[in-house]
Amino acid sequence: MDQTQSLWQFMTLQSSKLLQQTLQHIGLTFISLLIAVVIGLPLGVYITRHKKAAGFVLGFAGILQTIPSIALLGFLIPLLGIGPIPAITALFLYALLPVIRNTYTGIDGVDPGVKEAAVAMGMTAMQRLMRVDLVLAFPVIMAGIRTATVINVGVATLAAYIAAGGLGEFIFGGIALNNTNMILAGAIPAALLAIVLDFLLSRVQKISGHRRRTVLSVLPIVLLLCAAFYVVPLGDSSRLLAGFTPEFMGRRDGDIGLRDVYGLRIKTVVISDAVMYKAIYNKKLDVISGYSTDGRLEAYDLAVLDDDRKIFPPYYAAPVVRKEILEKYPELAPVIDKLSGLINDSVMTALNYRAEYLNQPPEKIARDFLIQKGLYAPPRSGAKGVVRLGSKIFPEQYILTDMYAMLIKGYTDLQVESKTGLGGTKICFEALTHAQIDMYPEYTGTALLAILQPPQKETERLSKNRDSVYNYVARGFDERFGLVWLKPIGFNNAYALMMRRRQAKELGIRTISDLTSYLKKQRS
Amino acid sequence: MIRVQHITKTFGDHIAVNDVSFSVKEGETVVFLGTSGCGKTTLLKMINRLLEPDSGHIDIGGQPIDQQPPELLRRSIGYVFQNNGLFPHYTIEENIGIVPRLLGWEKKRIADRVTTLLEKLHLPPAQYRSAYPQQLSGGQQQRVGIARALAVSPPVLLMDEPFGALDPITRNHVKKDFMQLDELKNTTIILVTHDVQEAFQLGDRIILLNEGKIIQEGTPDQLLFEPAGDYSRDFFEDQRFALEASRIAPSDYPALIKAFDHYKQNNG
Repeated sequence: MDQTQSLWQFMTLQSSKLLQQTLQHIGLTFISLLIAVVIGLPLGVYITRHKKAAGFVLGFAGILQTIPSIALLGFLIPLLGIGPIPAITALFLYALLPVIRNTYTGIDGVDPGVKEAAVAMGMTAMQRLMRVDLVLAFPVIMAGIRTATVINVGVATLAAYIAAGGLGEFIFGGIALNNTNMILAGAIPAALLAIVLDFLLSRVQKISGHRRRTVLSVLPIVLLLCAAFYVVPLGDSSRLLAGFTPEFMGRRDGDIGLRDVYGLRIKTVVISDAVMYKAIYNKKLDVISGYSTDGRLEAYDLAVLDDDRKIFPPYYAAPVVRKEILEKYPELAPVIDKLSGLINDSVMTALNYRAEYLNQPPEKIARDFLIQKGLYAPPRSGAKGVVRLGSKIFPEQYILTDMYAMLIKGYTDLQVESKTGLGGTKICFEALTHAQIDMYPEYTGTALLAILQPPQKETERLSKNRDSVYNYVARGFDERFGLVWLKPIGFNNAYALMMRRRQAKELGIRTISDLTSYLKKQRS
Repeated sequence: MIRVQHITKTFGDHIAVNDVSFSVKEGETVVFLGTSGCGKTTLLKMINRLLEPDSGHIDIGGQPIDQQPPELLRRSIGYVFQNNGLFPHYTIEENIGIVPRLLGWEKKRIADRVTTLLEKLHLPPAQYRSAYPQQLSGGQQQRVGIARALAVSPPVLLMDEPFGALDPITRNHVKKDFMQLDELKNTTIILVTHDVQEAFQLGDRIILLNEGKIIQEGTPDQLLFEPAGDYSRDFFEDQRFALEASRIAPSDYPALIKAFDHYKQNNG
């Protein structure tokens, strides 16, 4: 985890992982494309002959296309679980529209005079399709397949969110870990893949004459061969399955620490935290990497495994603010500090529970809390200036940001502009250092390990004590970035390994060491 | 050869062909003549089942046409389109060879047949057989269209305004070469046109159509000199002198001059 290592060093070091992810990526793209062609092409032909069905079929495929990819994956998880099947299904649904629509438009656009001549000459429906319609519509159909391919290469990065592998593992891991090399190691091959496939297919599209028929008959075989690259992402074969977020996978206080310090060997898939809890609740996973204040802990009846060898450093939350804005508006810091010490772990878990499980809007949760604490003040609607608040993309951050917004509006003459949902640590931190936002809530452990990245010995020394971590990051941020850590809010949202409470009890697993020895026994 | 009985075809509310009956003898050339929208093309397309009539019967060679699969029927009927309808992705040779291939001819036989037809239509085979349609002029494309329709020497040839899209000079050249084809001697031809001159030039018999009905049916002379009503008379009025002059054979000239002199003497 040397920060100064070059992209090339990273790629060489991770070459086996990179190769596996690239092959998975190609495989995912082509399996779904193959299914889309096998279903979409005949469907496109069908609707040229049954025009009444055309509107319905194209409309339906069009609606599928407009569903945001993350949302589509979300819909599919309750139906298909996690792993390759929902990922391929989602990619297939995206590829369907370009294939159907271009087959339809292509055949529909064939000169009606030529079509009539084919009929008048005595060709059967099948002969007309194979010798005239498909051959003349070939460039348009190939353009559709080309579009679908490029879309699929892009969307396939999201497969990493639901444990289906692909280059998204590096991309999202890198975003979460503030590791540019890791992002590029995933993004560059993905982009190259899109460019190369687009170029190859553009050449195929230009083929003319009788070779088109050859291409049409060889195409499924080529797709099938490329699809065979997909190796279902599986590790070793222990009985339990773990789902870790891309961020957790690359962290020393995550998967790496679990392996090094505990010697944990468990079959692992990479998955987004948005679907992770549901997956463990539905018994698709047995162990997940979660956050100790997550509201879903209670909701899904999960047990936190005790970190008996202390690899997870403290993650105390505190607002990080640009120094200039504090100097410009001296009244700001005391107002922000009003929240300090008010929210401990159980309070935060309860607030998160209302957001994540009861689906209450963060704004309402924030207002209720401030009213309860007697801190709520109606907005003054002042016009002295604007403070821009950022947040990462999970409910806890939304709630905190809303609280800060209400406090600033109620106690100062400043206005607030919220830029919530800024993805992971990297995006928030970059936005702050580039003065795109003025503050956001950060966690001491994240700042230490993902941003400052001190040598390992130093980290281990610091990690044992909550105050030493806070002091270290506060000083580091001040010196290196001109950013100020205000007082901690009070709760510690640390990483934690979780299992279903019932299963943990049945297997007698209470600590991470228990889990390690249980898995060792299973293997022997 | 072809017998059409009480054929009616409607498109929605519009009656395109209204209770039409006629017959065509073997080897005869019959012209459907009329203005646009008179139903002549609709009528033609029902003969090879590009369109199906709402009611009525059509026999070819004593066989009802709906008693065999339409594909098989169509392979025995040549069809020439106004806009040639050549396959842009086929060479000239392949275009002409479409029906022979459907009928399972051997390659050699197809190649020979293509050579013969191209020569007869004044398209040097060496230069044209491997060319693609878009490399040819409009007149050359239409010649290929005719060759394609005649490839298997079908007993029946249907022609939908075959010279309509060509400029007058090209049209005369193509028409002249077409009329010289010996293939046509035993072929029963139905030709659709709105061009009166062409109808008189090519037709053994003319069927004059208006609003989906037969107005008059007969030889060119009968239509010209014995019009069956106002519509027939008016239809030819603009070109009557040219048409009448064209009906006079050279052998009639002495008698005509005599008659003219006689007329002058009697009337000063």
